[in-house]
Amino acid sequence: MNATDGLRPVSGNVLRVGRVLTVAFAVLAVGAGYWQVIRAPEFDRAPDNPAVIAAGRSVARGIIRDRDGTVLVTNARDVNGDPYRKYADRSLSTVLGYVSRQYGTAGLERAYSAELTGAVSTDPLGGLFGGSGASTVRPDDLSLALSLPLQRAAVKALGASRGAVVMLDPATGEILALASTPTFDASAIANPATAAGAWGQVSTDPATPLLDRATLGQYVPGSVFKIVTSIAALATGAIGPATSYPQQPGAERDGLLVSGYRVRDGHHPFTGSGTAAPLRFDEAIEVSCNIYFALTGLAVGGERLAESAASLGFGAPLPFDLPTAGSQVTNGGGSFGGGFSDDVELANAAYGQAQTLVTPLQMALVAGAVANGGVLMKPHLVTGISGPDGTRTVAPEAWRRVISNEGAQTIAAAMERAVEGRWGRLFTPGAAVPGIPTAGKSGTAELEGTLQPHSWFIGFAPVDHPRVAIAVLVEGSGSGGQRASPIAGSLLRLFFATVGR
Amino acid sequence: MTAPAGPVPLARPTARARLRPAPRPRELALLGIVAVALLAGSASLGATERALAGQPAVLAPVHPFQLGIYLAALLAAHLAQVVAGRRTDQVLLPAVGLLGGIGLLLMERLPQDLVGASIAGRSLGLSDVHLVWLLVAIGAATAVAVAARSDAWLRRYKYTWAAFGIALLLATFVLGREVDGALLTISVGPLSGQPSELLKVILVIFLAGYLSEFRPILATESTRLGPIRVPPVPYLLPMLAMWAVAFLIVVFQRDLGAAFLFFAVFLALLYIATGRAAYVVLGVALGILGALLAYRLFGHVRARVDIWLDPFADPLGAGYQVVQSLYAFARGGVFGTGLGAGLPLVDGRLPVPAIHTDFPLAALGEELGLAGVLAILGCYLVIVERGLRIAASAADDFRALLAAGLALVVGVQAFIIAGGNLRIIPLTGITLPFISYGGSSLLANGIVVGLLLALSDRGVGPPPAPRTPGGLRFRLGSRRGSAAPVGPATPARPATPAASAR
Amino acid sequence: MDGYALAVWIVRLAFLALLYVFLAAVTRILLRDLRGAAVGRASSLGRLVVVASDVAEPTAGQAFALGAVAPIGRDVNNAIVVDDSFASAEHAVLTFRGRTWYVEDLASTNGTFVNGLRVAGLAAIGFGDEVQVGRVRFRLERPPA
Repeated sequence: MNATDGLRPVSGNVLRVGRVLTVAFAVLAVGAGYWQVIRAPEFDRAPDNPAVIAAGRSVARGIIRDRDGTVLVTNARDVNGDPYRKYADRSLSTVLGYVSRQYGTAGLERAYSAELTGAVSTDPLGGLFGGSGASTVRPDDLSLALSLPLQRAAVKALGASRGAVVMLDPATGEILALASTPTFDASAIANPATAAGAWGQVSTDPATPLLDRATLGQYVPGSVFKIVTSIAALATGAIGPATSYPQQPGAERDGLLVSGYRVRDGHHPFTGSGTAAPLRFDEAIEVSCNIYFALTGLAVGGERLAESAASLGFGAPLPFDLPTAGSQVTNGGGSFGGGFSDDVELANAAYGQAQTLVTPLQMALVAGAVANGGVLMKPHLVTGISGPDGTRTVAPEAWRRVISNEGAQTIAAAMERAVEGRWGRLFTPGAAVPGIPTAGKSGTAELEGTLQPHSWFIGFAPVDHPRVAIAVLVEGSGSGGQRASPIAGSLLRLFFATVGR
Repeated sequence: MTAPAGPVPLARPTARARLRPAPRPRELALLGIVAVALLAGSASLGATERALAGQPAVLAPVHPFQLGIYLAALLAAHLAQVVAGRRTDQVLLPAVGLLGGIGLLLMERLPQDLVGASIAGRSLGLSDVHLVWLLVAIGAATAVAVAARSDAWLRRYKYTWAAFGIALLLATFVLGREVDGALLTISVGPLSGQPSELLKVILVIFLAGYLSEFRPILATESTRLGPIRVPPVPYLLPMLAMWAVAFLIVVFQRDLGAAFLFFAVFLALLYIATGRAAYVVLGVALGILGALLAYRLFGHVRARVDIWLDPFADPLGAGYQVVQSLYAFARGGVFGTGLGAGLPLVDGRLPVPAIHTDFPLAALGEELGLAGVLAILGCYLVIVERGLRIAASAADDFRALLAAGLALVVGVQAFIIAGGNLRIIPLTGITLPFISYGGSSLLANGIVVGLLLALSDRGVGPPPAPRTPGGLRFRLGSRRGSAAPVGPATPARPATPAASAR
Repeated sequence: MDGYALAVWIVRLAFLALLYVFLAAVTRILLRDLRGAAVGRASSLGRLVVVASDVAEPTAGQAFALGAVAPIGRDVNNAIVVDDSFASAEHAVLTFRGRTWYVEDLASTNGTFVNGLRVAGLAAIGFGDEVQVGRVRFRLERPPA
């Protein structure tokens, strides 16, 4: 009806804009469907979901047991009759975490909040018939792979030091001990009567007891990282068991010149005369030769080292029941390959310095992969969830193969020399278990400035048929042989005397 | 043809209006469905709340008085239009009424102390205040729909409107009060409000006037800029000015939602007026440029975008609102928890902050589920569809652009906040039209609905049958017979000097 | 599971269902209007061409496609707006009934004229007839084929 002014009428444009807006609303509808249907089951059991928290308020949470059936946590009731948690042992504080009405949840209590409170209700029409919205709550119980005696012993062995111990079954990925020191009194935080005081003290403690060092602590690895470099080198064929470097003996004395920077090695004067024969792979592991692994790192190359480390779990948080920090071989961003900035960084990283950072759990997995013939198992703490509807077992799950069986055997044999060998014994005193061939590698993580180095040990036993792998870290306590190796030895001995008998 | 016989008196409008009531059966039927639906919703909420409070089980509305007033207001709006006898759209009022009613149920369900007001010694809770504003909005919509018979007052004074809008904007910069990091609220004495809500209506009026006037130039002329043909450069300046205004709002008011809304509606109207995709491409490019610039320069913009990209990076801090919103949607599932049964309190607080203004869709997503969310989105689409249909069949460009702009303001605003709640776009603090708590928002959207109704007076709805069917039959026999000379014609109305009605 | 809880449950889902009942009812209206609009576009019933005009709107030569009902007047809500102070707000209405066009004067102050004669109430008109409203003369023409 409009005047014929030579222009197209606007109505066509209006309808086109309308179609665009309709599409936009269709996107909203798809988004709503995504969150409300597809992601809902996952969100409905998120520990910080207020529904899960609210359900946990009035519900006596499920029981948690260790691998022998020992009850690790029970419920008590406060003056109002509301339940709160009582934990069996302080050594469990970072594993089980706590439940507090004021301060939230942590640890397994947090990760499995939905199961422990029974708040998992995925049926949107379920519970409707209750009328009030309060449905019947049926908490689940958890069974852990953890061994309370081992856990206790690990915390005791660490003593007053800050550190962490991870023990696992290399064939299944089951975590047998996951200790972090200092510990804290989770029961005091859970008890509403003592929560405020306990929380105030724990949360401001400079020793950060709330930090689970085993899963979230990132440490310079030092020589234990040489196992990662070994896996990369043997898996990619960069070196073989007989590889040696003619320039290595001389470099022990003068240092290894890499792009004008001298990589030095001060640990083993007995091979550093400059006239001795070049070291082979197993000898280099036994005496923990930095020069050998710097050269190996350069032979592997940054890209392949980073890739191999990534296959071991580096570069991202590990799949685990608890939150984990990622481990790294470099800060990344460099142009040299694999994120390294140059060959100097690569050479230093290859023996665990430069920008390498690892968690104790990651290093336990490295030891476990070697022990398990090159197959990395997914680590897990919870082995079973049992509720009124029965028990759901968490089966062992292979993550990926990181090296061939022969390659793993080569490294295992070298690690055995590092514990049992003539020179190796000097680096890893106290790690050997009488009557059981033990493999291992110590590490001394040099820190910048005048800080005392971190003491590391990773290993497994028995060498021919490994049943336990271990990683021990003691912060700022000197060389690997001084603290970590004896702790590992005592825990391995306890393992074979109790759990693995 | 000769001029009208006899001396023609000078035209002088008077305030005389003839009322010819016209029934609106569709509107009444739809309002009936709305009333039954809201009664069911209120009964469901009432039963749940009574059960939670341990009161006797009665399946009855939660606040029958409030719901009664609201439904009565809708009926009054319907009757006012029946009496006025205009052939306006019959779908808009029920659709808006349903959304408003859902909003009222939500406000009745939320803790009443989210908003505190006291009038004449009586303290009013959230739903009381909300109901008052709903009534004001319905009143405004009805008044505009019934009274606005001419659009000259909008059409002629577009620059006055623009000046008023800019003054309002500047007043916000000067007198604005910072709430939650955004300079949104303006307070003069006891009155306070969010000018951006009113500004959006003024913007649409101005743009409709401007674009309809310059449409021929904007749509047809081109300048060659190297190998590409671009619209004439001087007429691009308004686009740059609009871009600058949006950017200034982001910078000084920190109101990302309003900036996005204004710019999107501007681009859509520019496209409707010209049909040239080049403008849209240019505008989107400018928008992206501005967004990147804002992201680089301003922390509050960067924070919003980072939260959007990964709210779970800091679920207890920066990402809290968005994460809690998603949890609420997830808890709802397909059919929802039922009104009143969702939203567990955490330490006596609601898990989602600003739920009544910025996150009503999350709350409704939890209690009504995906089914409810889709129905609500459908209602917005209905409103947009009706508005655009009014625009498509409008008599001229100005009315087409005005109607389209008003419909888009509602649709785009709903999209922005719903998208923010659903983490489809970054979250910006803007109200969900007709549902969110907020006087300015409800009033402005009421005016929008009123204008759309007024603009719909033709083109929508069945044409009425010719009047005086009896007389028709009578005159059929004597064709042309009724075309009598001037003299003996029966005086149609009292012999006032007025030349024309009204 | 008692009857009351069941009733609450039913009411709850009924609320959701009613939202969709509403949307279905609205959709029916929208579709019907769409069909109506399509029909309206497809067959125009006639054209009203401005023969002479002394005012800004409409201008001479302008043509209006007519629907079944075309109100004329000064008010912008008319299908044909005559921006003339001599025209009443709702001046006249053209209607098509059966096979015939009618013009009805809506009690305008200055009257509606068909071929120069003032109309009293309703008058039938044919194609080619001239209709005057205010200072604007129109001619009713056949719809373009």
